Amino acid sequence: MESLEDGPDQGHAKCCVKSSRRMSNGDSAPASGPFVLLLHLRACQEAWAPGAPWTKDGAHAALWGRPAGSFLVLRDSSARPELLCVCVEGASEPVKDFPIRGSGTVVQLIDSHLGFPDLAQLVVFYTLSRDVLPVCLLVPAWMSSLAKPSEKPPPQLGPKSWLCPPSNTSSDSMSVSSVAPGVVMCTIQLTTASGALCIVNPLYVHEHGDDWLSQASVSAQQGAHPDKRRFERRLSKTRPWGGAGLVKNRGISLDEETLQSYSKGPAGAGVGAAVVTTSTGVVLRRSSSSSTSSTSSSSCDLFQRASTGSSVFYSSAPQSPHRVSWVESNMWMSPPPPPSLLHPPSLELDSLSVSSMEEETDSACSSPALSHHSRLLLAGKMKNRLSAVGNALGGLVNPQKRLTNRVQELSRSRSGGFGVALRAFVEQTQRAVVAEAVTSTDILQEVRTSLTGLRDMLMEHTDVSSLMDSMADLPEAELDVMLETSLHKVALKPVSSHLYSCIHSSHSSDGSFQKLQSNQHTLEGRSLEELEGTSGTGVPDPVTMEKIQQRWVSMHGAYSPNTKVHILLKVCKTIYHSMRANAKPGVVFGADDFLPCLTWVLLRSDVVTLQIDTDYMMELLDPMQLQGEGGYYLTSVYSALFYISTFRPRLAVRQLSVEAQQSLSQWHRRRTLHCNQSRRGCHRRTIRRHANTKTSPKDAPGPEGESRDTQVPPGGSEETLQVITDHQSVVEVCMKEQSENHTQEPQPRDNKSPGVRGSGPDAKTGPSQGGWAD
Amino acid sequence: MSTGGNGRPNGSLPQTKICQFKLVLLGDMAVGKSSLVLRFVKGQFDEFQETTIGAAFLAQSVCLDDTTVKFEIWDTAGQERYHSLAPMYYRGAQAAIVVFDITKPETFERAKAWVKELQRQASPNIVIALAGNKADLAEKRLVEYEDAQTYAEDIGLLFMETSAKTAMNRKRCQKQTPRISHTLHEIGELTSKIRIPSLPRGAAETKSSANRLAS
Repeated sequence: MESLEDGPDQGHAKCCVKSSRRMSNGDSAPASGPFVLLLHLRACQEAWAPGAPWTKDGAHAALWGRPAGSFLVLRDSSARPELLCVCVEGASEPVKDFPIRGSGTVVQLIDSHLGFPDLAQLVVFYTLSRDVLPVCLLVPAWMSSLAKPSEKPPPQLGPKSWLCPPSNTSSDSMSVSSVAPGVVMCTIQLTTASGALCIVNPLYVHEHGDDWLSQASVSAQQGAHPDKRRFERRLSKTRPWGGAGLVKNRGISLDEETLQSYSKGPAGAGVGAAVVTTSTGVVLRRSSSSSTSSTSSSSCDLFQRASTGSSVFYSSAPQSPHRVSWVESNMWMSPPPPPSLLHPPSLELDSLSVSSMEEETDSACSSPALSHHSRLLLAGKMKNRLSAVGNALGGLVNPQKRLTNRVQELSRSRSGGFGVALRAFVEQTQRAVVAEAVTSTDILQEVRTSLTGLRDMLMEHTDVSSLMDSMADLPEAELDVMLETSLHKVALKPVSSHLYSCIHSSHSSDGSFQKLQSNQHTLEGRSLEELEGTSGTGVPDPVTMEKIQQRWVSMHGAYSPNTKVHILLKVCKTIYHSMRANAKPGVVFGADDFLPCLTWVLLRSDVVTLQIDTDYMMELLDPMQLQGEGGYYLTSVYSALFYISTFRPRLAVRQLSVEAQQSLSQWHRRRTLHCNQSRRGCHRRTIRRHANTKTSPKDAPGPEGESRDTQVPPGGSEETLQVITDHQSVVEVCMKEQSENHTQEPQPRDNKSPGVRGSGPDAKTGPSQGGWAD
Repeated sequence: MSTGGNGRPNGSLPQTKICQFKLVLLGDMAVGKSSLVLRFVKGQFDEFQETTIGAAFLAQSVCLDDTTVKFEIWDTAGQERYHSLAPMYYRGAQAAIVVFDITKPETFERAKAWVKELQRQASPNIVIALAGNKADLAEKRLVEYEDAQTYAEDIGLLFMETSAKTAMNRKRCQKQTPRISHTLHEIGELTSKIRIPSLPRGAAETKSSANRLAS
């Protein structure tokens, strides 16, 4: 998925709220389901995410021979989750490890783009979706059988008793496992509008991104667990010896049982499959996982396979990592209808529901054999249905791809206006060279103007506009991003390397690269403390630095500024992670800590290439993309590079050299501020380019000599500001010209003329704004 | 999407206008800029409303009457040596919170300098709030409440005192969060009063109105 950013950037906390709202139109959700599991998981987090004494080897030993999907999370010395160990039942590697990246705000598997607010939510999600895992996580059945939040799992549970659930001997297990009042059975919904509870429409996932998935995980779970319980109930009815074990006793004997299992269970750490300690249920599960399934245990086996998504003969779907894989874990849990009620595969897309059939399920499943049979049938039928649905949706699966294909077709067309304009653009851009009066910034801004023009052309094109109309349920901004991305492929890909060399020669000829590099050498050896980083903040270790360098390389390799920002954010995330490495939990790292650390990293990177990429992003990103987190961290990188290139050891810190001011004024001219513009903003850009030519004195003064002349005595902040103001009066002139175009650039005002306030850009947006409001 | 932002419509509140404001945090190093805002962001909700990759950038929404104001909070490095970078952060900001430490008079002086700089260089209509942090350290107080308040009133700033202690003084902290929240509400109201009538599009409007019009 080409989402610009990892999942975590979107609100997960919000997700929960939203999901419950979604549920209401999905008609199939008990209000409590996922939250209960989440609560329970949180309550006994110590059990599945043990602390210090537990090592990787210990966890592997404990997991050995457990059912696929059994898992433990290991924490590092500072109690942050570090490693997810999952039992995968592989012949060579029965337990696999997945590193977790945990920060104060986001927990995620390093291999995955999905982030979660906390560990428990991550686990809940991965019980429903494999994502990058080979199997779904398996929460012990006794956990999910706890129906109410008030039924707390025993707090003193340890990892081993987590894996060997307390046995159930009490008869009230039946009532525990029965469906709670008001619980509606899982409905298989294939509509995009209803929030698709059990089967995720891939289109929906694509359209709504990763954060929606985290909502869906909760929703899906709500749908799934009653069924799981129901299935267990059915098992316990038909084969009490098996079902009983799958259900947890919620009676008072629980704690004893736990202790008992714990005291009996230590050997289980080594040879889980061989040692059967507490409950029949455990026996069953283990034997089913370690032996080839006998007829009697096949149903349980099925359940297990279903819940782990590793079904061999029910689904031949390839096990590639994909985001909607939790379908695997849910659909098979739906109790099978009797064979007679199965419909033939159909192409109804709006509501394929098996819920209506479920009522008969219990009576129909009078024997394990029948149950097994009907499940098989259901599985087969559902697979057919799904593949039919999949085919029907195939064309819709990836709107981005469709859009890109369409744009590419248009770009190849010899006669079409877009193709002609595009070719003209590419040729013209490739001919562009940095000259006396033409800086790379000018070239890039020209490119941006052309991009906007090309995008407008695309929008007006009937093919594209009808295609986009068909995706009208996507947020506007997302459509914009998609169109931009498609455009980047045809327009920027052919010219990106030429643009790089333009930026390079521009910065080389004005001496800024030399300065950047020499200052880098000056500062290279500085420790974080010397950069005034806060004490206790970690810096990336050599391995992490290596990883960061690789990311920088891939960032440079990307032609799309959107992709570049995406990678940049990943690097920033890595830096944060390193900063937190030795920190006490709860310490908050703001910009005081981050900027020095970022500077430290940049000093150990290829600053020249980074400057090129930063310029490229700054000038070519769609203005909308320059807001938010991407804009912030891009600004931070720009700032840190600026700090390096203008570093002067002997000067009072607060002084601004002439170059600094120039660079600042250049910064002021940059486009970041125009983020409030819609795609109609090309008119504005034209005028701004006009304005830019008026500010050309920016290249005029020699870099070295002048700056010394304007040095301000230490502590002279007043004067420094005055200098800026004077210098920027040039900018002001240009901004007045721009003001018609809603620019919001901070306008320096002279103290002596308070009246300027009224004529500032903001005041001027008033009249011009009328055109927009109408 | 990474821009954290304005893209995704708030499905639950289709009628509500969504404004997006950039709020910049300024102040000396270690005066508690980010923890102050983090407390607000975390205080009102259990988790971040917008999960972000680090506390240097935070996003939080505040609901006014018919408007949801979404703050994008840009933290700045307070170290003197990074001072010259601040304009890159505060440019285009609609609001600023200037933070100082009530136990360190020099940070108050620095805060005044920031206010001056903002008034001179930032957006003309920027709403500025002054925050005296670490109010829990009353025994070490060196900047009197009245002094700061008078200063703030004189030049028309919002003013609040806040406490950085979260764990030790929980009761107080709970009082504190609404305080910050209240100030952000005020900022939101002030900012939207100034901005909404004059903002053409994008930041101050839901995508539906302006952009649909555009297309």
